[in-house]
Amino acid sequence: MKSPVQPPRWARWLLIKLHPDNTLEEVTGDLDELYTYWYNRSGKTQATLRYLLNVVSVLPPFVRRRHTDKHYYRQPDYPATFSLQFMMIQNYLKIAFRNLKRQKVSTSINIVGLAIGLATCILILLYVQDELSYDRYNEKADRIFRVALNARLNGEDVGGPMLGPNAARDIQREIPEISKATRILRGGEFVSNETSSFKEDNLLYADSNFCEVFTIPFLKGNPKQALTEPNTVVLTEETARKYFGNQDPVGKVLLFSREKTPHRITGVVRNVPTNAHFRFDMLVSSTDYDEQHIGWLYSINFYTYVLLSEKYNYKQAEAKIARLAEKQIGGELEGFLHLTPKQFREKGDDFGVFLQPLTDIHLYSTFGRNELTPGGNILYIYVLMAIAAFMLLIACVNFMNLTTATAVRRSREIGVRKVLGSVKGQLRQQFLTESVLLAIAALIVGLMIVGLSLPFFNLLTGKTLTLGLLTNAFVAAGLVVGTVLVGLLAGSYPAFYLSSFKPVAVLKGRITAGRGNFNLRSGLVAFQFFITISMIIATVTADRQLRYMQRQKIGFNREQVLIIHNTQMLSKNETLFRDKIIQSPQVITGSISGQVPIGNSALDNTPIMSRENPDKAVMSRFYKVDDEYIPTLGMQVVLGRNFSKNLSTDSSAVILNETAVRALGWQQNPIGKELIGHIDDNGVKTYYRVIGVVSDFHFESLRQKIGPLAMFLGGNSGNILVKTRPGELPQFLASLKQQWESFSPAAPFSYSFLDDRFKQVYLGEQKIEQVLTLFSGLTIFIACLGLFGLATYTAEQRTKEIGVRKVLGASAGSVVALLSMDFLKPILIALVLASPAAWWGMNQWLKEFAYKVTVDWWFFALAGLLAIGIALLTVSFQSIKAALTNPIKSLRSE
Amino acid sequence: MQRTYLGEFEEMVLLMVAILNGEGYGVTISEALAAHTGRIVAFGTVHNTLIRLEEKGVVTSELGGATAERGGRRKRLFRITAPGSRALREIQQLRQNLWLLLPPDMLQPGNL
Repeated sequence: MKSPVQPPRWARWLLIKLHPDNTLEEVTGDLDELYTYWYNRSGKTQATLRYLLNVVSVLPPFVRRRHTDKHYYRQPDYPATFSLQFMMIQNYLKIAFRNLKRQKVSTSINIVGLAIGLATCILILLYVQDELSYDRYNEKADRIFRVALNARLNGEDVGGPMLGPNAARDIQREIPEISKATRILRGGEFVSNETSSFKEDNLLYADSNFCEVFTIPFLKGNPKQALTEPNTVVLTEETARKYFGNQDPVGKVLLFSREKTPHRITGVVRNVPTNAHFRFDMLVSSTDYDEQHIGWLYSINFYTYVLLSEKYNYKQAEAKIARLAEKQIGGELEGFLHLTPKQFREKGDDFGVFLQPLTDIHLYSTFGRNELTPGGNILYIYVLMAIAAFMLLIACVNFMNLTTATAVRRSREIGVRKVLGSVKGQLRQQFLTESVLLAIAALIVGLMIVGLSLPFFNLLTGKTLTLGLLTNAFVAAGLVVGTVLVGLLAGSYPAFYLSSFKPVAVLKGRITAGRGNFNLRSGLVAFQFFITISMIIATVTADRQLRYMQRQKIGFNREQVLIIHNTQMLSKNETLFRDKIIQSPQVITGSISGQVPIGNSALDNTPIMSRENPDKAVMSRFYKVDDEYIPTLGMQVVLGRNFSKNLSTDSSAVILNETAVRALGWQQNPIGKELIGHIDDNGVKTYYRVIGVVSDFHFESLRQKIGPLAMFLGGNSGNILVKTRPGELPQFLASLKQQWESFSPAAPFSYSFLDDRFKQVYLGEQKIEQVLTLFSGLTIFIACLGLFGLATYTAEQRTKEIGVRKVLGASAGSVVALLSMDFLKPILIALVLASPAAWWGMNQWLKEFAYKVTVDWWFFALAGLLAIGIALLTVSFQSIKAALTNPIKSLRSE
Repeated sequence: MQRTYLGEFEEMVLLMVAILNGEGYGVTISEALAAHTGRIVAFGTVHNTLIRLEEKGVVTSELGGATAERGGRRKRLFRITAPGSRALREIQQLRQNLWLLLPPDMLQPGNL
């Protein structure tokens, strides 16, 4: 039946199309009724107009939607339940525990994965925090600066952190902004008291105002007067205990050096913190060093620090100091080279000073071996921070993946819960509780891992990190809050995704996780393997470089060479001792020399000039040796001859290495040519005649290119190098010690082996390799966890498909291949992306070395194969399990 | 739980639902509004308000009473609920109390 009057059809059509479905019936009816009413009252036009207006008023966006969900409407007769009640939380926890207990494997994998990520992160943060805290123990750290020299000579950077002895005095006198300037001088001394004698390598000569600039807490003695008198010394707690046990050392005397100069102890200070750019066991007053040489450029050995008065800009002070330096150094250059600063600069050389903030010295200073302690590198800090962030990110992503994968198994539970009246909010809370619980468990496990691995980590990094930082309330709160956030974030996806399942669909066993999610997941896998592959490539490269350096022909024989140190302490008996040693059947040859190749031979370059071309100076190292030196170290004389004891003229002879010959520009036979030696006070020049050329050998590490080297006969002292026959070493060493002590020197007997020293040089590279191996191991592990989670998830999702395939005759092998193929693609993409990135990064690192391996294509192939192999192994566990499942099991539930 | 808050128009519509006593639906409520208050409002306004009132739990609705005039379509008939009538009574009580607080003759025309 139709009513007699009908509203316009197109308006009705509009209404039907656009009005919400669930209220369409009554609204259409109401409007029809109204239309009839208007039609009867005011006619067709009026009615149509009003009808239209009212249709628009019930179209979106004006219309309010009616919710079909019954519980959307309040049941006002009952108080609404507040969903976060104690009872409910208790229930969530109970169910969470039950679930986690039931799925032991996935729970533990999940916890371990996140725990390792967190542990790595915490360890790295501890390390970084320590690196950043260098020298901050000084109360005036922000106002202390070091004055460093910036100089170029003959195209070579010869700047450093040290200045001549007078710089500090001049600065303090001339520049009002500087409230104090103080110097320290590195030293090594043989120190003895009645009972014992030690070689103190770690002592510093310091000015009397040292303790006013740096914060050195005194346990005994007066800091103001401790270093004012000459021959006074301040010990650290540890050193005091070494010499005096538990006695009070203040006022007692220590004997210094061969001459046994007495030094009075005026104080005991607390041990210097490990995070300081200089450490000392003893502070010796340097008052007697004053005015020895006048100047900034002579005897450049003094680390000069300035304390800026409060509220002064350090850039202004720096400019003033630079002006002062220009005057002083310029004057000295003029006296020395007869060049004005302008002429000096025109030659392409340069000089100047600049200020280094104290707290930047450790991480930013680039003076390498001239530093008081080996410096850090801000670049490593950034790299480590990036690794920490990536590790945490990957761990979180995996945590999310695994949580989602296991949660899908629980879709039935969700269905039942929904049927029994759970609302979405409650389900969400349930899942979030679980994941937060997991995250907190992971944090606890992670902290345990940190606690257990800290000793090894300290061994690796050479630091003494403690968990002390973690007891800081802020850090602890940050960790807990961070972990809870990770838990919430990781739980949010399963929580929101699963709680929106339709119970009917779930209970019928029809959950369809969209394939769209797979892309996101593949992306994450690719990202993880990008990092993993990069790490593998980095590890392989570092390993190759290390092996290359150790295998490299170094130009001398380092096997079976024993070095006895500090033999200058025997004074006249040094040669006697050597002659005695040589008589031992164990010894082939023995040589006395101050210079030993490889190791921290902090030698400076000295210019040498050939006689015919005195303007061309070649910066060269000097070795003072004797006639046995070259045979002892097995160096090759390629031209001419070795020094000879029997020729008195050899005292003015020189042996060069090949590089030096090349640098001096001698094309033909260099034998017989002459070098200009030193000029004595009367202006008489001595000349050194070249008698031989040795083949190049690495006298430092392979990081440096082999430089020019000149060897001179005599004036040598310091070490006895002994080439020994293999075997019976302990007895030999014991007899050496006995002989040493028969001379009763002030120094203890100490020795090292040349090949040990050689290894020491590459300790840094070894550590880098170890750290890289560790981190790549960890990233591989974590990436595998992620892959495992994903494989579990997809296998779960495709159970039915696999069942059908098997029923239709697919073999287990083909199903495994099918499941594995999905994962190969992201890994291949990762390989393609990682290769150039790693190639670039490793080439950057290799730039530090003068002698290096090339990054070969097979590094990438190896890393790729390794990654794919590990990935397939991980995935195959799940895919084989899925492929071997009886199809009845998977298809029965339909 | 705090008291349900009702806007002025919502209060009017709720009163109309109560007045129509189970016979209230879109058309009758609009007409009653027009008749008693003189307000002509768009149908959508009434429709939305009714949905909002139902969400607030002061009315319930059910479908029924199809007529030929509406092409055989059912009406959504509204009925006031217990909380609804409580809300109306509370509003009235509140007004009453406020009126009692007025100073005498305050609203007399001459006073303003």
